[in-house]
Amino acid sequence: MITVIGWLLGLGMFALMAILVVHVLFALLLIVPSWRIFERAGFSGLLALFHLVPVVGPFIVMAVLAFSDWPKGEGRSKPAHPA
Amino acid sequence: MMGFDLAALLGLFGLTSAFALVGLVLAGWMCWRIAEKAGLPGWAGAAAILLTVTGIGSLISLILLWVFAFMRWPRDGLALAGASPAAAPGPGMAPAAPAALPLPPRVLADRRGWMLSGSGVALAFDDSRPSYTLTGAAGGGPDELVVAEPSVGRPHARLLTASGRIGLQDLGSPGGTYIDGARLLPAHGPRDITAVRTVKLGNVELALSRT
Repeated sequence: MITVIGWLLGLGMFALMAILVVHVLFALLLIVPSWRIFERAGFSGLLALFHLVPVVGPFIVMAVLAFSDWPKGEGRSKPAHPA
Repeated sequence: MMGFDLAALLGLFGLTSAFALVGLVLAGWMCWRIAEKAGLPGWAGAAAILLTVTGIGSLISLILLWVFAFMRWPRDGLALAGASPAAAPGPGMAPAAPAALPLPPRVLADRRGWMLSGSGVALAFDDSRPSYTLTGAAGGGPDELVVAEPSVGRPHARLLTASGRIGLQDLGSPGGTYIDGARLLPAHGPRDITAVRTVKLGNVELALSRT
């Protein structure tokens, strides 16, 4: 019985590690371009590490970029103020 | 019992679908805004996210993210022009070492307009147009700023505006263009003048200020 539980625990740990590795690898695919986008916008590239947060990470990254003023300027074409 | 399980399962899927729908709309909205901030049409950002609805579309969205990160954004136009000295070589001008004006370290989003004033001239403009032509010829279009003075060329120089920054490009007028006393040649291309004090067109010296 103990052997079975040991096997199950080992299998669970292996699955957990596999999921973690896949998650980090996939997050890296998002972190690299996001890091560059953040730096081009004038933010710290470290903000791209929010992609490591499961599920909501990409939403946090998008929200920061979408709802804050970019320190290096924005390219909105609409008139920002009356003449 | 089976019916209860099935209902619970369908309820879970329904909740998941609702979350997925809200997430998709939210992501599309945010990507719309991000694309606009980069100077691209907003629908392009939203469309990139909507591609994830299809199976293979997720891969395309990932590729588009990489393309977006490393492509040249329209927003970068003015900054790049200010950084590259040979952006617009002027005809007949000797290639001279440009006296580069330093870019401001950080530019905050600023909604105010601009004013070039002095010598009885007051020119107000904003970034609602991408460029204005400084000319001595009266009766120009809405994108022309007239300085009625014989030493000002027709046209004389071009003002470029983008996201709270302005650039100046000399168009080769004999009267000359000066930024804070430094001669601007056509070979220098557009220069960032966001932080300068005075611009001189021919014999007319104008102070740059915010309105």
